[in-house]
Amino acid sequence: MRRTTFLLSLLLFRALPLAAQTQITTTIKPELALQIARIAVPRPETTLPLEAINTPFFAPLTRDLAYSGVFAIAPIPPNVPAGADLAKAANAQFVLALKIEQQGDDFIVDARLLDSTGVMQFGQRYRGAAGALSKIAHVIANDLVRTVNGKPGIFQSHIGFASNRTGNFEIWLMDWDGANQRQITRHNALSILPSWSADNERMVYTSFARGTSDMYIISRRGGARIRVPTGLNLNTSATFSPVSNDIAFVGSVAGNPDIYLVKDDGTNLRRLTHESSIESTPEWSPNGRQISFTSGRSGSPQIYTMDADGSNVQRISFEGEWNDDATWSSDGSQIAYTSRVNGRFQIRIADLASRQSRILAGEGSNEQPTWSPDGKWIAFQSNRSGRWQIYRMRVEGTDLLQLTFDGENKDPDWSKKGD
Amino acid sequence: MSKSIKSFAATLALLALVVIALACPKKPPMKVAPPADTSANVPPIPATVTTATAQTVPPETDFVSPKTDTVAVETLPNDIGELNRVAQSRGYIQDAFFEYNDSTLTSDAQTALTSSATWLKKNAQYNLLIEGHCDERGTEQYNLALGDRRANQAKEYLVTLGVDAGRIRTVSYGEERPFDPGHDEAAWAKNRRDHLVLVGK
Repeated sequence: MRRTTFLLSLLLFRALPLAAQTQITTTIKPELALQIARIAVPRPETTLPLEAINTPFFAPLTRDLAYSGVFAIAPIPPNVPAGADLAKAANAQFVLALKIEQQGDDFIVDARLLDSTGVMQFGQRYRGAAGALSKIAHVIANDLVRTVNGKPGIFQSHIGFASNRTGNFEIWLMDWDGANQRQITRHNALSILPSWSADNERMVYTSFARGTSDMYIISRRGGARIRVPTGLNLNTSATFSPVSNDIAFVGSVAGNPDIYLVKDDGTNLRRLTHESSIESTPEWSPNGRQISFTSGRSGSPQIYTMDADGSNVQRISFEGEWNDDATWSSDGSQIAYTSRVNGRFQIRIADLASRQSRILAGEGSNEQPTWSPDGKWIAFQSNRSGRWQIYRMRVEGTDLLQLTFDGENKDPDWSKKGD
Repeated sequence: MSKSIKSFAATLALLALVVIALACPKKPPMKVAPPADTSANVPPIPATVTTATAQTVPPETDFVSPKTDTVAVETLPNDIGELNRVAQSRGYIQDAFFEYNDSTLTSDAQTALTSSATWLKKNAQYNLLIEGHCDERGTEQYNLALGDRRANQAKEYLVTLGVDAGRIRTVSYGEERPFDPGHDEAAWAKNRRDHLVLVGK
């Protein structure tokens, strides 16, 4: 009882945009976190019309929880009287009690996670305008995941991509569930291959706005785009270091594409590969110590890794006559890449330690995998519908979901943080 | 096939002009009225060209003598887009095609570039953009690098043939801009190319 009072006093008013602080009030034993917890999520208590809160708030919140891998939504039996023991009725370990009210233009959401004995394990208040309701939903889902298993959720992660739905391919952004798709660049020229910075604030990409392929940086929150001059041709496949202000990219001198590093202000250009073959598609390991890349040095495009200074080159892929688009899982133990199998591209996941790999087969060509921040999901592009669209699936290949529908959409890159 | 007939036709038309120009150097031009020149701007393609006739012309013939420079220049449109259309259709500049996942210049590609170099050297008022393209069967990122290599192979070759390197710029579009949207070998063969584009100085 004393604990309940204490936790109640932790109920905060939390305005959006959110500050860094997150209240962690977990009393869950670690061994419980290994299991998927059944959670009952009754409709929010509110005087607002249901349609005002369902699509922007309640639906994304329950979807997040259902996909979290931490919670399973426990169906609430019909005709459960108000005030009844919901946890018992739904056979749930948790009940999420939500209250929403409106104050002027702002919505105030009160979220409390109660365990089966009615003790509050987490409580927080969130405030934001109508446009922020889905963000509040993702923040609550993240807070609940962190409360129960101590790890950050991915529900505030974003997927950058290229879409031609307004004419030229431009850089776009969407939430992890495909919602809130918005255009970030307006070059009116081919703009492709966005890649996130480690802090989720910036993207580096390639645009042909000047008639050549150049490297640009743009902030997620808007503002001017910056061209990063390298003095080289190509400037493609650019990717931020997770630990410094270096950018790895493909540069070319006289038709010899190699992997280079450059600082994000265009200074300190360094060449990492020196083969006469084609090198492309660099990607940093999560600790910034290694870079994977594609090379044609064996006669066909294959995946290699090297240390971030260009030393210690090792070939990773041996199956398939065309492999590209390597990208590291967040713990650095696995690499996903595009691998041609029986004439079609598929997503292959290779374990770096055991050198074992498996194919996540799908219809059409499936390319450019990108990991979710927690390593449980992969987004990729497929032309299975006849046009390039972006899809998401679990690393096991289940729960496939198409995320884009307008125009053609490609080059997905999942942000490195989800909270 | 139709492309080579067209370029032969252009060759023949120009040869006719050369022959006439050489044969009548001292006569006033207005009295000559050569049949091939009646449409003033565009040398008409003789509809009666047969392969037998075409074969009598050695393909290696350097038909553009310095004296014909003015003839060629006068017929070129000012609009850069129209100029490129005309220059391509007459074979003044010719795209170079590649094998799958390869940037080696085939003998056909070398022939196309040799013709292009000859014309470019005589028309120094234009610069050249070489766009490297790939078919859709590879992956996007690797193909961007492959297209860069293809474009630069052509640039290097043109330079060895005497075209000033400072006049040539390259860009790779990888598989982003196919010429033929099809998904078969006929389309892919067209899409694996260096596309030559004339640009103003």
